[in-house]
Amino acid sequence: MNEILSQVFSAGTFTQMLRSATPVALAAMGGSMTEHAGIMNIGMDGMILMGALIGVLGSYVIGSAVGGVAAAVLFGILVGLFFALFVVKLRSDEFIIGCALNIFASGFTAYVSRAVFGLSGTSGYEIDYMRPIEIPLIKDIPFLGEIISGNTALVYVAWLLILVMWAFVYRTPYGFWMRASGEKPETLRTAGISPEKMKWLSSVLCGMLCGLSGAYLSLGYLNGTFVEGMSASRGFIAFACVIFAAANPAKAYLAALMFGFFDAIGLRLQNYISSDLTSAIPYAITVIMMVYVVVSKERKRRSLQPRHDAAAAQPPAEG
Amino acid sequence: MRLRINWSYILALTVSIAAALVIGAAILLISGYDPLKAYAAMLSGAFSNARHIGDVLEYAMVLCLCGVACDIGSRVGIFNVGGEGQLLLGAIVAAQIGVALNGLSAWIVIPVAGLGAALVGGLYALLPGWLKVKHRVNEVITTIMLNNIAEFVCEYLAKGPWKNPDNNIVAGTGNLPQTYWFTRLATGSNLTTVFFVATGMTILTWYVMQKTATGYEMRLTGDNPRFARFAGLKTDRIVLIAMLVSGMMCGLVGMFRVYGAEHIYKASISNDYYFEGLMVAMIAKYQVLPTAVISVLFAILKIGAQGMETAAGVPNQIYLIIQTVVIFSMAAESGIVSDIKRRMADKSARLAARQRAKEGAANE
Repeated sequence: MNEILSQVFSAGTFTQMLRSATPVALAAMGGSMTEHAGIMNIGMDGMILMGALIGVLGSYVIGSAVGGVAAAVLFGILVGLFFALFVVKLRSDEFIIGCALNIFASGFTAYVSRAVFGLSGTSGYEIDYMRPIEIPLIKDIPFLGEIISGNTALVYVAWLLILVMWAFVYRTPYGFWMRASGEKPETLRTAGISPEKMKWLSSVLCGMLCGLSGAYLSLGYLNGTFVEGMSASRGFIAFACVIFAAANPAKAYLAALMFGFFDAIGLRLQNYISSDLTSAIPYAITVIMMVYVVVSKERKRRSLQPRHDAAAAQPPAEG
Repeated sequence: MRLRINWSYILALTVSIAAALVIGAAILLISGYDPLKAYAAMLSGAFSNARHIGDVLEYAMVLCLCGVACDIGSRVGIFNVGGEGQLLLGAIVAAQIGVALNGLSAWIVIPVAGLGAALVGGLYALLPGWLKVKHRVNEVITTIMLNNIAEFVCEYLAKGPWKNPDNNIVAGTGNLPQTYWFTRLATGSNLTTVFFVATGMTILTWYVMQKTATGYEMRLTGDNPRFARFAGLKTDRIVLIAMLVSGMMCGLVGMFRVYGAEHIYKASISNDYYFEGLMVAMIAKYQVLPTAVISVLFAILKIGAQGMETAAGVPNQIYLIIQTVVIFSMAAESGIVSDIKRRMADKSARLAARQRAKEGAANE
């Protein structure tokens, strides 16, 4: 048992946690944007998947991982525009469009990957991927250094983005308008700002971040390989993180970190339990997370209610 | 019985499918295939012989039942996106029942397996349904997570406790004894007598949802739950029952796949088939009869695309692209139509205003 615990809580687990959390976190930050703008975006999984493919494809064509990431982000903008075209401009059901986007992504990526790389996928191809970055000084700190240093660039970009996205949402007028476009679109319109434009903006940001997430998945997490269906429902886990964090990008990162932690523990426990069962852990945690959010909200509401009731039910003061 | 035909819907669907085929052709052209040849290969892949036609009907059956399962949920306002997991669990339980009860008469084993599959699928759908009704937990996310969990659990069972004794099969349950196999309707095809059962299930669902008080109550619950509650309906119970039935149907699809087509549980029992059924249901706007018709169309696309892959080397995923383009254009249609209507209304209002202004000027 001690042996298991020491394995589970080793620095390796926390490194793995960061690796697993980053793609979910990037997508969850993007999902926070659309959530603030009042769009229920369940198409993130497809956005990630397409980002993963375009990342590999870009890296293959351009010959550098940075080019791949740039291609994935640019393509993510296109996907965001496409999503907004339907959801905002044409007012289609966002659930249907999200679902269709996911299925489109699975067909599109499989088709393109087979048409370009052949049946066996990217395995035989030389594709530049993101190498881990060793940070001098920090890497010598015991335990922490091992975790913080030696990650791929996008892990650090994600840290930067926590700050940027948080500041954007809560400290800039655009973020303010974007939140208003979801909560009180009519008020925003009265103030002379188009809520539709803010929704378009949120969708494009979400597309970008999901593209980045996909690029991390294929170029960072899997060293330059594309596997069909490799997003593995991460987009939905990201969505759960968004709900969990009430669309606060910084909290969404923490929620993703929690997911990453359980994913890492699952991977560690593979020596003891069937890997199929441990792979199910993060998904089960996500369900529990969703239930927890809703139940705790409910409890908060209920704990407030009786006081109102008590006040209302109190007999008028004598005299 | 009178069927109302919605011509504008049929027109939109036809235009959407045509547009999707054109976009598909463009994609084929860009990736260096001859679209005409590819589509010809697709047609012959779907219709060239009895076996292919049988496969088309079998796949249409799977799509239709999955779509109808989705219809049942969305009619009462809950989206069962978890059909894939329910299907897989139903399939593995049915397969294992067949293996465990080997030796008993088919008249016992098949009903027991069907019951087991339906029960497992139904209960697995009931969980997110209960969470939704009781705690308002978003069912889309929970059902999708449950899909993944079911997938891994089945993988575990098929590799571990219920593994096939044959070591060449890495992940799969034991072989289903041949006496339990459904009778094939065309040699070499997956089409079996269960097709008639599926047709019966679809017609029954249509009848209940369209022609009975239960169906009316379901629609009321889905369209306006507050009003339904004021009218004295137990909406929570209706949602739960709908979810149960929806899950049972998915579980049965799993059983049909095992006893009709694969004769063993393995991962290929369903390759996101439920999601394709879900798309069919979406295009059909959650109506049962259109779901059945569109299932056949998409089954032709899918089986045809597989033939196309062998004949012309085109990756068969092109059919997924074509299918989703149909959805996108169907979803766009309502937006475009309402946009045009709004513009026309604006125009006529402007004209009327100008008219009034003119009259006012003339009167002065």
